[in-house]
Amino acid sequence: MKRLLFVSLGLLGGCAAYVPPIVTNEHVDLAQGRELFAQRCIECHTLPPVWHYSREEWPRIVDSMAHRASLRPNERAAILAYILAARDIPVERAR
Amino acid sequence: MRALFMSILYMSILPACFAGVRHFGFVYEAPTSAPGSFELENWITSKDADQVAFRHEIEIGLTDHFQASIYFADWSWTKSETRYDDAALELIYNFTNPVIDPIGLSIYQEIRGGDELIECESKIIAQKNFGPLILAYNATVEAVWEDDEREGEFTNAIGASYEISPRLSVGVELLHEFVFPDWHDGEEIRNVFVGPNVSYRRANWFVTVCALAQATSTPDEPDVQVRAIVGVGL
Repeated sequence: MKRLLFVSLGLLGGCAAYVPPIVTNEHVDLAQGRELFAQRCIECHTLPPVWHYSREEWPRIVDSMAHRASLRPNERAAILAYILAARDIPVERAR
Repeated sequence: MRALFMSILYMSILPACFAGVRHFGFVYEAPTSAPGSFELENWITSKDADQVAFRHEIEIGLTDHFQASIYFADWSWTKSETRYDDAALELIYNFTNPVIDPIGLSIYQEIRGGDELIECESKIIAQKNFGPLILAYNATVEAVWEDDEREGEFTNAIGASYEISPRLSVGVELLHEFVFPDWHDGEEIRNVFVGPNVSYRRANWFVTVCALAQATSTPDEPDVQVRAIVGVGL
């Protein structure tokens, strides 16, 4: 029973609402990337925190799902630009 | 209007894509399908194994926040007969996002027509994602005119789905139905169904199964109903 309680608490601990952080960059429309990230990706799965994968992994991950999420090339680029920019901000700020 | 026209134009030139995964069998989720996506969904719902209902549905993403579905064939099998039941049109409009907004909200409207059957169903869909946990709530009002009878129904549906991995989710669903035969509440029919769900997805397909057991003792309602939904991106 105790074990079940610990497992349940552990699972709930991982369920804090993850809100993709707001990131600004004068050169790229990161707001569009954030919106697309939060909108298209959750049609199939919940959102992983952006720091969950490395900078090298993200382009491959986004590419592998771009077709499924009906992303046009500019939308794919906007999502990736947002993820990489958000990934660079400190974790404490991004939470 | 221009956005809708552009979406239709875009859909006509883009290769068809996947519309989205269902994490629940009976509860609807707030996000709508991506514009330009097409998906075929086949539903099988078994009620006490005495009756099996089938649905074949095409789901189309029209704009970023608007999707339409056509149930082009709802049919059913019982021990005595197999029959075509109805066809329907379903529309869902999404207002807010369950991740970046405090709560994700959508409205749903379905119109169904069959042999001496008209059914009108409206829902408010609310959803919030907490990391890998999806919580969803549907409030549904339904009006049915069949033969010379009419009936109303109000349903609260709640679901939770926990994503174990990006491909696999498990959860639980609960339906609380209030049935109003002939628009009256005289018979006070209350049904509660509860049970687990599991959803598995791969490249361009998914399968979701939910089994609900009746927690009340309404004689005309099934003791157990099982629904399986298989979706394939076209």
